[in-house]
Amino acid sequence: MKISSFNLITTAVCLFLGLAAFCLESCSRVPSRSGCISCHNALEAASVNHPSCSACHGGNENATDKSVAHSGMHGPANPSEPAVWDESCGRCHRYQLERVGSTIMQTNAGMIRNIQLTWEGEDGNRYTTHGEKQFDADGQQFSPKPVEELDNLSGELYRKFCSRCHIGSGNAGSYGATHASGCAACHFPWNNEGVYTGSDATMKGRAGHSASHAMTALPDTQVCARCHNRSGRIALSYQGLNDGNNGLVPTSGGEGGPLMTSGARNLTHITPDVHFAAGMECIDCHTSRDVMGDGFAYRTMYLQTEIACEDCHGTARELPRYREIIRENDEALRESRNYKLPVTSGMNMIRTVKGRSYSNVFYRDNAVWVAGKKSGKLHRSKVITGTPEHDLAGHERLECYSCHSRAVPQCYGCHTTYDKRRSGRDFIKGADTPGSFSESEDYRMLYPFPLALNQRGRISPVTPGCQTFVSVTEPDGSRSKTEYVSMFKGRQQLRFAPFYSHNTGKKAVGCAECHGNPAFLGFGQHVVEREGIKGTLICERSDSKPLDGFLTLDKGRVKAYSAITRENARPLNGAEVKKTLKVNLCLPCHDKPKDPIYRKGLDYRALDDDLHRRLLSDR
Amino acid sequence: MRLMMIFIAVYYLTASIPALAVHGGSICVSCHRSDTARLDSSGGCVVCHREHERIFGYAMGKRDGEKQFAQRSYGRFDSDFWEKNCDSCHLQGCSDCHGAVGNIRKPTVADCQKCHTGYYTGWDYSGRAPREDNLRYQRGLAVNGETFLKMLPDVHYRAGMTCGACHSMSSLKDGQKASKGCRDCHQPSMKPVEHRIAAHLERLECYACHSAWAAQEYGTFFLRFRDQRMKEDFDLKAGSSAEYLRSSYLKKQDAPPLGINNRGLVSPIRPMFIAYYTDIMSARNNGPENTLLATEWRAWFPHTVQRGCVTCEGCHDNPARFLLEPESRRIYNLTKDGMGLESFWLQKGQRVSNGSFMDAARYLRMSSKSPAYTKAYIEKWKTFLNHVENSSRP
Repeated sequence: MKISSFNLITTAVCLFLGLAAFCLESCSRVPSRSGCISCHNALEAASVNHPSCSACHGGNENATDKSVAHSGMHGPANPSEPAVWDESCGRCHRYQLERVGSTIMQTNAGMIRNIQLTWEGEDGNRYTTHGEKQFDADGQQFSPKPVEELDNLSGELYRKFCSRCHIGSGNAGSYGATHASGCAACHFPWNNEGVYTGSDATMKGRAGHSASHAMTALPDTQVCARCHNRSGRIALSYQGLNDGNNGLVPTSGGEGGPLMTSGARNLTHITPDVHFAAGMECIDCHTSRDVMGDGFAYRTMYLQTEIACEDCHGTARELPRYREIIRENDEALRESRNYKLPVTSGMNMIRTVKGRSYSNVFYRDNAVWVAGKKSGKLHRSKVITGTPEHDLAGHERLECYSCHSRAVPQCYGCHTTYDKRRSGRDFIKGADTPGSFSESEDYRMLYPFPLALNQRGRISPVTPGCQTFVSVTEPDGSRSKTEYVSMFKGRQQLRFAPFYSHNTGKKAVGCAECHGNPAFLGFGQHVVEREGIKGTLICERSDSKPLDGFLTLDKGRVKAYSAITRENARPLNGAEVKKTLKVNLCLPCHDKPKDPIYRKGLDYRALDDDLHRRLLSDR
Repeated sequence: MRLMMIFIAVYYLTASIPALAVHGGSICVSCHRSDTARLDSSGGCVVCHREHERIFGYAMGKRDGEKQFAQRSYGRFDSDFWEKNCDSCHLQGCSDCHGAVGNIRKPTVADCQKCHTGYYTGWDYSGRAPREDNLRYQRGLAVNGETFLKMLPDVHYRAGMTCGACHSMSSLKDGQKASKGCRDCHQPSMKPVEHRIAAHLERLECYACHSAWAAQEYGTFFLRFRDQRMKEDFDLKAGSSAEYLRSSYLKKQDAPPLGINNRGLVSPIRPMFIAYYTDIMSARNNGPENTLLATEWRAWFPHTVQRGCVTCEGCHDNPARFLLEPESRRIYNLTKDGMGLESFWLQKGQRVSNGSFMDAARYLRMSSKSPAYTKAYIEKWKTFLNHVENSSRP
């Protein structure tokens, strides 16, 4: 490697500055002109705050020989990966790194726990992806076990199927789902192919790298969609994309289409979430504590999430809550530094469910405003407090998205085969080990969707989570399990999970539509008979139980045959089903949700009073 | 009702007597025209069963309707489309339905379902709906290599009735679809409130309400592969033609949309077909793709009859069911996908080949909540709720 005298001088200057920066234990803000740029001369600056190559990458930036220059690099390509992030990002961003270490996206504690619960794999231990020490929500330190030690089928499933979607592991090979591991998973831009397409000739066309070296403090929706495109696939529904029947049509340029994503799945278009249509990104609602964690380790996603619809929209009886920024070191001030519209002292910041401040949502001029973190666009939030249509007796038990969801992706029948004769990639152990998973499915749909009680005791949409039928092929080719339904809460049953699909609509599901269509209560596609409701899409393992529901009504008795996951969650019981259906006695005349009769509990004896008798008599 | 059951039982027993006994006394060549001729043509049988030969001149033998559809749609791009993709199902000889040599018999349901399979009526009678075309969904139960979703079978099937109970040979040889309509056996009871609404009995086919579910395919795609290697990226179920793969935008199997059939009655309707064509080779060279060739619906009788039906709002508060979907309720965005249609559930740009859509004014009248509607609605729910108990089963 030959370098010019100019470069030698600049290298010396840079070395001095680099050393100074190192001595001061801070990140250099002075541009470095290291030896690195003799090869990577057009590589984009990571950001104006990250001018030095070696401050992040390590290595030997004065060396003129490639192998010497690259020796001692962190990563080496990705200095933010968990194995080395203490030495790179963590040197300056200690606060963020310590939070990220225990965020659910890094530990995957919730995913592992749920797989254990629903695959009969619970063994009394808490597991995380890597088993680092954590602090739980009470501030108590605990040591979860690494999932590598979970020696059963649920551990295998996590390691071989699910573990690619945690920020501790990169994915360079899946079209549409490529991302780095560590901080760069979210803070560097990746394209669908996972190929560098920036200005640096040395890196151009190299696979396994971000599309550009220009980092971003504020990840956009596309970044989230690189992982949140499977299972609940909220990032797809949010954008108005449907991972439907994998029919690969309509084609695009003679290939599968109209859009393709990882796993040779095609995406078609549906009506997007109203917030997406307004130009809002994922991070405009989700706080950094939602995604990067708050330093405490939660066992599931819904305990870490700190936001709710009510924060900005209020409830029927309570307005959104806010607090004023007074101190100069307020978290909202620090967090919003990179926003297009940073917040300032004296602003009234809206609080999350957990009572903390949003850093981009504030109360001003009698209204709640959401500022796009990247765009700076101001959105006025519609506050529903005091509106009669939201103050219906009984509806205080409903999550907002029970009525305001449009499409709710539902995948019915997940048939999983574990074949011990074949080996599969264990992404945690980083090796191929005996045992390979494959999946087939029955049916997917978007609407209507069933409702049940969630962990908050609220009525919420639920989606199969999961309807797993397990088959296991032993090394000698014999089947030790065939289409097995695992035990959950003490009996063999399929499961549904409370779910917010992130496909919110301004227009709610109609009153008569929900109360008059028992599919919303969990009866699936059906016909209504004299004393019962009969499902029409039937589970293969049963004579009469619907595959797309969890309730039957036979001879007047409601029976639940599937569970709702999460503690305290359950299907509606007989009394609740009857109560919901009974509203139909009022709905044909009182068809507006604003009707005052719905403000208090319904009195069905009114049907027998003079007025109603006269109205309902033969005219 | 009891008399009818006895009739069905007698009919069923008679049907199960081996037809061979009848032919046992005949000499071989009275059926087989020569020593080597097989019985797979009509030749031998119609010597005696002369009047039955006419069946080959009707729909099952000639399949004119389907042929004409193929010609006016896919035939515009491939004049041999019919022969390549559709020709495997047509009546060639008596033994197609009447069993094999040595076991001549009345057709069983399974005999009829050799052709009446997949999207075609008859497969549904036993509680079968087509699965998605991607191999990920091609799993589970299968008959004759055709997989299906397990659905609730027709009540007549559960009662053991064969297709022939309503589709007698004498009706088929006369070119009729069926020998019996619903009301030949059933007199609607006046107990259910729905039956006491005159308009229901006068303007609706019984099966407009009593078809519990129906296979519906929205957006049927035929992808043409001139180079077989190009199929590699399409994990789709193989069809009868090596040159084509079939897929669809969306499959459903809930209560079907309603329209008006050629008897002027409200009837289930379904796409048959909203047809698209892509020549893969040409599309990869910037040629056209996803060409919309037909937007045709058909009024038909899904063979999925149940005692029950949907609730009132399933029709009276459900404009999408009549292809009058309001934009505010739209989920699928076909325009963005370049499908050439705004919505599958909008009449605009579509037609019913053997009937019509219900016009918007009539739907508005139907969905306006008249006092009579309100009264019937409340009675319906009151009656039903009287049978629902407050307690749950464990």
